Amino acid sequence: MAEVKVTTRARRPASGKREPKAPSADTARIAVVGIPASGKTTYFRFLAGHFGLNLPILYVPSRDDGGNLPLYGDLDNDVALEETTYETTDPTDPEGGLETTTRFYVNRPMEDRKKLWVELSAGREDQGILTKYPLPTKFNQFVEMKMRFRYGTPEDPTGSRPMELQTVDEAGGIIADYFSYDRLWLEGGEGEVTEKSCRVIPHFDSWRPDRRDLWRRGLTLLGRFVHDADAIILFLSPALASLRDQAQQINLARGVFRYIRSREIPLVIAISKADRLKDFYGQVEQSVRERTFRSQFDTTDFLLRRDGAGMGTILVAQEGRGISTKEDVFLISSAVSTGEGHPMMVGEGGQEAPAMGTPTLGVPVMVNTTLPLARACERILAKRSTKGA
Amino acid sequence: MGAPQTAMASATDAAPPATLRDRNVLLLDLSKSMLAPLPDAGAGRGERQKIEVARTAVFRILQDAAASGTPFGLVTFTETVRVPVPLGEVHRENLPYIENLLALLQPSGRSAVWDAIAVGADLLRAGTQGVRGNLVLVTDGWDNASARFAVRPEPNAPLKNGFNDLVPYVLPPHSELNLRIVGIGSGVERDRGVDGAAMNAFLEQLRNRGAELGLAGAFSFQEVTTGSQLFTQMVQAFLDVGYDDDRPLEELHPEELAQHAASAAKALKEPQQHATVARLRAPHPTGASPPDPNYMESPDLEIGVLSTTGGAPAYLRERYGPLGEVIEAYLAAQYDRALQRLNESRDVLPPVTRLYWQARIEFAQRAVVEAARSLLQAWTEAEKLPPASQAPVIRRLALLQARMQNDKETETLIRFIDETEHRLGEVDASARERLMDLLARLMELRGTYQLTRLAGEGDLQDAALRHEAAVEDVFGRLQDARLEFSSAGPAVEGALDFIEICLAEMR
Repeated sequence: MAEVKVTTRARRPASGKREPKAPSADTARIAVVGIPASGKTTYFRFLAGHFGLNLPILYVPSRDDGGNLPLYGDLDNDVALEETTYETTDPTDPEGGLETTTRFYVNRPMEDRKKLWVELSAGREDQGILTKYPLPTKFNQFVEMKMRFRYGTPEDPTGSRPMELQTVDEAGGIIADYFSYDRLWLEGGEGEVTEKSCRVIPHFDSWRPDRRDLWRRGLTLLGRFVHDADAIILFLSPALASLRDQAQQINLARGVFRYIRSREIPLVIAISKADRLKDFYGQVEQSVRERTFRSQFDTTDFLLRRDGAGMGTILVAQEGRGISTKEDVFLISSAVSTGEGHPMMVGEGGQEAPAMGTPTLGVPVMVNTTLPLARACERILAKRSTKGA
Repeated sequence: MGAPQTAMASATDAAPPATLRDRNVLLLDLSKSMLAPLPDAGAGRGERQKIEVARTAVFRILQDAAASGTPFGLVTFTETVRVPVPLGEVHRENLPYIENLLALLQPSGRSAVWDAIAVGADLLRAGTQGVRGNLVLVTDGWDNASARFAVRPEPNAPLKNGFNDLVPYVLPPHSELNLRIVGIGSGVERDRGVDGAAMNAFLEQLRNRGAELGLAGAFSFQEVTTGSQLFTQMVQAFLDVGYDDDRPLEELHPEELAQHAASAAKALKEPQQHATVARLRAPHPTGASPPDPNYMESPDLEIGVLSTTGGAPAYLRERYGPLGEVIEAYLAAQYDRALQRLNESRDVLPPVTRLYWQARIEFAQRAVVEAARSLLQAWTEAEKLPPASQAPVIRRLALLQARMQNDKETETLIRFIDETEHRLGEVDASARERLMDLLARLMELRGTYQLTRLAGEGDLQDAALRHEAAVEDVFGRLQDARLEFSSAGPAVEGALDFIEICLAEMR
């Protein structure tokens, strides 16, 4: 593999020279939504790694174009990823307010490459957070994440154009609630989710006042940015052991389908953590071990008939109503695991790097990570050109 | 007894007039003669004291009042009139205390029947709106102690000096009163039963006055001469008890609740594997209406599931007669005795009740074939029931069948429906109706889901679309219910949570 650029993250004040440029009028915004632990954080961090560190991406099934997607890091903007944390000052204080802190991820070398993985893959348990519906993922904070990149097709006279990927991180519960319960939806970019409408959320009245306030603000923030979003990428995890989480995910999915139909915006579905699906993992493993292996894996057939987050019937029902199961649904894995929580790393020669023994250089294996993003961009531009025409 | 009258009048003046059926006052005779035995025909049960039989009636009426949430008041009388339970809502949790209080009330002295009726009317007095509600008088005697009120022996006959005429007092203008008199014992011989002549004269005068004033209302008198007559009313019931492994919804961990909901959804999704589900009828909102407080007139079966936490319920025999004894023996694991009592009572028990309990006892005895046969006969009998009784009885039969077939999914579904219907009996009527409607719609999703399974390649998308539209419709209603009943308490919230997860599982 060619020279690998390594970055670290730095915590900087919101003001200063690192402050990102304001997005141009041409910028498109894409919202990433999913329940807690659906893979949003990993997606953002690894995708930033792809743009900033040139981390390679494996495609299953193999692509005829070799994976040359027109996605690029935003070189005009050295802030690859921006995270704003909204946190209650004191979770036990019912009168407590919210504090905001912004972090910028910039291009810097990192000495220990293994740290990259450790940092990115810290499990939910390690983070000491709650994931049980209907509680917030972290009980006293949520994080707004923005990643800047460019998308452009060779035939586009303007070259590439700036794009922005957004999500509310550490708040999959907020996302799930917002989309599941359409009584919460905002009608404008300046709207406010009311305390009254929040009562559609199960047991909302029984929550602590500061949590209710945090949740309501999170819903408002989410409502505003999805209102301005040009497309949505919905993350569905097939690896949910809890039936309650599965129910939450299905309700979210149905809500997102309603939302995109009512707003007429493109939707792309990413079945994240696809390496947890046995058949799919087999394809990944063979692709890694045999560099010449060209997978003919039929994603649609797999999703609708064999597995895929138990969404078969629902996806069939939505066919042609804002999505195409053939073109808008992808199996992705932003960080392939060897199965026991260890990352699968590939070395310089493209072979799997041994996890034991002498530490070796290697990069994590990502599968199809850019596909949903590229498809979302493609659909946004197609929609804009249709409108322009 | 002036104080209650004033208190009630001021309390009701401010409120809009209540509907007729909303308020019930029971007048119970506690004179010494109530200790006398009342012959009991059939089943070799011997004699029972009148007070014992009367208490049974009171227990039943109280229980109905607690279930329906209608205001209820109790007036007892000897030569003194007392109000042990002022007119108000009877809460289920207070029932044991009231019942204990009733058990402590020992008959003594004479009967001030007319004064008691006047106090009862005072409780139902609604200011200028007259007397509004239901009065039920349970007595065995003759008025021999009233000090304030009297009834003319003939319409124009003079009253005793110093007494007020009871008829205009009880029935002032604008009233809407139902008065029902249950006379225990025959009144042919003085002090052996109710003074039927006086009662009929009183009722006749009330009817005449009602006609003169153009008032709505009904006045009736019924003599009960044997305990069996009362029992015949009492055993018009289908009673069941829960199983040892029952756990209420609110005790479940959220993940357990989700597992239950998923399990129930499976029963809806796979009817071929859960044949019993096909027999279930969607609960209809009107099916959940509270029982009629005038139990004696109710043509339907009384249906209930008794709580057995902490052993057999108190007053099982008193409330439910022979059926209570069967259940008591069953709960004590005395199955042979339970079967024996069941056979002895076969003439008075409704067939569906008898056959169900026969099946249940046989199943407990591990006589599976016999149990299956009895249950099959019970199904046949259940089909003959009136619609209002049919759905809940069928669910109990289906639950037993699911247990016999070890069909956990169906069992979970039925338990949820049963428990929800039971617990919603305590919440606001509009919330109850909406929840039962949601439940019915959830059950109906069986149909659209099956279409997605049966559809061919070409029709699959159309079938899936229809199913998803049906799910979305129920989900929209669920959201509205959440907003409207956000403070309705754990029973409503638990039911909504369960339905929400079931909906997600219908995919």
